[in-house]
Amino acid sequence: MTNAPMIALQDATKKYDEGPPALAGVTLSVAAGECVAILGHSGSGKSTLLNLIAGLDKPSSGTVTVDGTRVDQLGEAGSAKYRRASIGLVFQFFNLLDDLTVLDNVMVPAQLAGMGKAEAKRRAVELLGSLDIDRHAKAYPQRLSGGQRQRVAVARALMNRPALLLADEPTGALDSSSAEDVRRLLLDLNAEGQTILLVTHDIQLAADTARRTIELVDGAVERDVVNHGSGAGPAARTPLTRPAGEAR
Amino acid sequence: MTLRKPPMPRRLFEVGVHAVARLLPAASPSALGKVVRSGVGRRRLQSLVMALTTFATVTTAMLSLGLLTAVQAPFEHAFGARNGAHLAIQFSSSKVTAAQAAATAHAAGVTEAAGPYPIAAALDTTIGTDCAERAGSDNGPITVSTRPDLGSTSGMDQLALTRGHWPTGPGEIALPSQDFAADCFGDSVVFSSLPGKPSFKVVGFADSVTNSATGFLTADGFARLTAAGAKSDEQMLYRFAKAGTNADIATDKQAVAAAVPAGAVESGQSYLIAEQQATGNAKAYVPFLIGFGILGLFMSVLIISIVVSGAVASGIRRIGILKSLGFTPAQVARAYTAQAMIPATLGLVLGTVFGNLLAVPILGGATQQLGAAGAASATIPLWVSAVVPLGTLLIVGVTALIPALRAGRMPTVRALVVGRAPKAGGGQRAQRLASRLPLPRAMSLGLAQPFARPARTVLVGAAVLFGVVSVTFAVGLETGFNRYLDASTSGFNVASEFVEPTADVGVPWGRYGPNDPRDPHLDADKVAAALAEIEGTKAAFGWGDSGATMVGAPPGGETPEVFTTTGDFSWTGMELLSGRWYSAPGEAVVGDKLASAVGIHVGDDLTVVQQNKQLPLKVVGINFDTNVGDYTVMTDAATFTAAGLTPHIDQFNVELASNVNGAEWSTSAAAALTPLNASVQPNSDGGKNIVVLTMGALVATLTLMMMAVAALGVLSTVVQDTRERAHDLGIFKALGMTPKQTIAMVLTSVSLTGLVAGLIGVPLGVAVEKATLTPMGNAIGRHLPPSVTHTYTAGLLIPLLAGGIVIALLGALLPAGWAARTRTATALRTE
Repeated sequence: MTNAPMIALQDATKKYDEGPPALAGVTLSVAAGECVAILGHSGSGKSTLLNLIAGLDKPSSGTVTVDGTRVDQLGEAGSAKYRRASIGLVFQFFNLLDDLTVLDNVMVPAQLAGMGKAEAKRRAVELLGSLDIDRHAKAYPQRLSGGQRQRVAVARALMNRPALLLADEPTGALDSSSAEDVRRLLLDLNAEGQTILLVTHDIQLAADTARRTIELVDGAVERDVVNHGSGAGPAARTPLTRPAGEAR
Repeated sequence: MTLRKPPMPRRLFEVGVHAVARLLPAASPSALGKVVRSGVGRRRLQSLVMALTTFATVTTAMLSLGLLTAVQAPFEHAFGARNGAHLAIQFSSSKVTAAQAAATAHAAGVTEAAGPYPIAAALDTTIGTDCAERAGSDNGPITVSTRPDLGSTSGMDQLALTRGHWPTGPGEIALPSQDFAADCFGDSVVFSSLPGKPSFKVVGFADSVTNSATGFLTADGFARLTAAGAKSDEQMLYRFAKAGTNADIATDKQAVAAAVPAGAVESGQSYLIAEQQATGNAKAYVPFLIGFGILGLFMSVLIISIVVSGAVASGIRRIGILKSLGFTPAQVARAYTAQAMIPATLGLVLGTVFGNLLAVPILGGATQQLGAAGAASATIPLWVSAVVPLGTLLIVGVTALIPALRAGRMPTVRALVVGRAPKAGGGQRAQRLASRLPLPRAMSLGLAQPFARPARTVLVGAAVLFGVVSVTFAVGLETGFNRYLDASTSGFNVASEFVEPTADVGVPWGRYGPNDPRDPHLDADKVAAALAEIEGTKAAFGWGDSGATMVGAPPGGETPEVFTTTGDFSWTGMELLSGRWYSAPGEAVVGDKLASAVGIHVGDDLTVVQQNKQLPLKVVGINFDTNVGDYTVMTDAATFTAAGLTPHIDQFNVELASNVNGAEWSTSAAAALTPLNASVQPNSDGGKNIVVLTMGALVATLTLMMMAVAALGVLSTVVQDTRERAHDLGIFKALGMTPKQTIAMVLTSVSLTGLVAGLIGVPLGVAVEKATLTPMGNAIGRHLPPSVTHTYTAGLLIPLLAGGIVIALLGALLPAGWAARTRTATALRTE
């Protein structure tokens, strides 16, 4: 592990047109290997924060540094390459590509990054196996249950061994059983050393999954607390993740 | 999804749209008007494309139909009003009697006949000495006739007097205004080739609509000519039950000829020849304008289908909301139809104006041949300016109505629930197959996309297809035009240096007619010998207008010229359409235009007359003639000499050896030629054919327009596709797809469609060109040779085959850029 935080936001502000900022001078840091939940009501700035960290959007002012990269200074192509290398994204509605098989969906990030087809396939099969959905490799996403689809989305997010996994309401579209399934998966990943930033409005999910909870209200950090007794154990190298802090 | 809006001349377009929108039926409630206007406003790009396609369609349709009617109308009107003759036949009086000629009125197919009238064909004339300005000038050959009542306003082929009065005595004559100098009106014309050179005072300008004769005398006056030695024949005029085509006329002529002894028919003048002479080159524009017009119409229908269907497909939620607010199905259908009609109306108004404006310079050329009466009516008729746009509007309306009705019938609940265009269900197999290709993943993803929406792919392909057809067609036409221009600079125009009589230097071409005694000629033998002696002369041949006329040539319009040549001209590139070049005395080659007009074939006999002396010639070849005259006969000077006629050699064309300096050669030639009253003139390469150049420019303009429309059609479809796939794009970008990869994916998604459209479009374009170029030649009375019509070489076809991809990529480039710049976070929120 290194001392540098995995995520560091310094006075990050995001304004859209006129009106109050979506994010107002947020300063926070997340260490490698942490699992942090961002809590807040609708419109509190959770998704904006996640977008800034993922390089999907840029702050109006302030800085965003992830895994040593000044994300706010990246251009379009730089942002794309940054996401390939450092970020895995899991969405509430899975965002799988309906006309690609499960296997192809999982392989896409690696192939976009230039990985050879054979190697990408090997890695994807390995991931699907680890997540226990390898039997659906040739199926199309529409034929899977919500929980299965979210597992596929997680597999895809982990394809390039990202330093940071960003999960935006990952259980929001799932029934309670599937939600629990995904929660355990996130816990396991974090236990294996995967840094996770979990955006949710579900206090219970945050408490059960993350070691630390940051609550946003009107775009500002209202609370930043550590949840004792929850979260994952020490980091270990597995097929799913790279150990926290490992240089790429 | 908020794609960046494309740049465009927004203000001008919006002003036009709002102006047209205000003209919507008053029945449209203001709410409906607002829906329509906002729909047009939201789809500015697609609206612009629709406006542009209808503009192109209406412009070409206006031009083609307008030209056809404007050029044709004066002749047709005159032909109908004056009960013109379909065919005028001249019978040799040595083989038929007047009664026998009259009896042909009962030949098969004849519905009406007139005559026989005495006629004397192709008599050389000069202007009399009483016209001081032009005394003695060559006035060309005139075919003279007399009728019992020259000014009759009933019966067939009524003659029209435009100035003066009809001849009333034996010393008076009436001529067509174009056959005698206006400033010599009232002075005399002299029949210079007849013994005694009888002269007549020109007291009237008059003509026959089909040029059945070009000089009109009283019976007494005609008797003066025959007394002076003019050969008098019998002329009969006919109208037939079937006379619409050259083939019909040929059949009719055969029927008449069968009713008289063999060889009695000396010549026949078809009204189609007169019509062609009257309409001139303007009709040559019509075939390719019709071609572009049809392509434009298809393109309009296609683009409007694409845009309105797309608007309906992507606006399902909007339709649901409108219906939930109380819009009836009819109102919804009207709203979506009007969204196409507004830009289309704008396009067709502009197209109507532009078509009329563009017709002015094109009709300008035609009016010269139509004369003053034609010039007055040579504008696009008002009914064309009404029918073409209204017809286009109707087609556009029906095209837009079909998908609009679908929108109107859509159940409200379904529209609200579905909320957006249905996601692509197909294409999974294509994606699987594409993923196996050894291509970068972004490209293989793009390659499979067309299969997800096959209907839309067909529309994109059709837009590219029409673009490729247009380009292939236009490139073929342009190449044909250029080859025609090249051919027109062959033959008598080819030379390094010209040698002409010293007395002719600086004298305008044709100032003196070939029979004018002041027209100087070269001593052919001596000049040829001198040229052969000059160092650096590679080849030389001499030629000139003999002043002879052809018996049986159409009497009006262009006068046939009989050229005599000496020496080898095989190096000039003159091209034979059939037969061979003359190689023995008595043989001749006829230009294709004259051969078509008179119906001459290889192996036929023809007779030329010089100074009232007849010379029979055997036709051994038909050549593609773009030389000095439009109606030409060529024969060797030796043929004239052997028959006791005088060949005229007015010019030598000299080809220099490749290493010879023209100026130095001229200097040494001058010493040898000056004693022979001959001078050297450099070849300044005559001007290009302005009609062909105008056509070329017009074709290029229309092609660019069609290409732009095709590319815009692709653009419109890809924009819509990109909008609908915005969410998927967001996913790809979230997964790390770079802008370059995004562009590559979008461009690849149209390239296969473009390739296929190109492969289909090129042969279609070739077929359209083949169906157009030959009729264009026919419109000006030409049989184009293979060197002009065989335009598509491998070097031309290969890039054309790639044209489909180029058009598709051009059309997809902008939306690809917009897709690449789309904000990922926004795209991901798009549903």
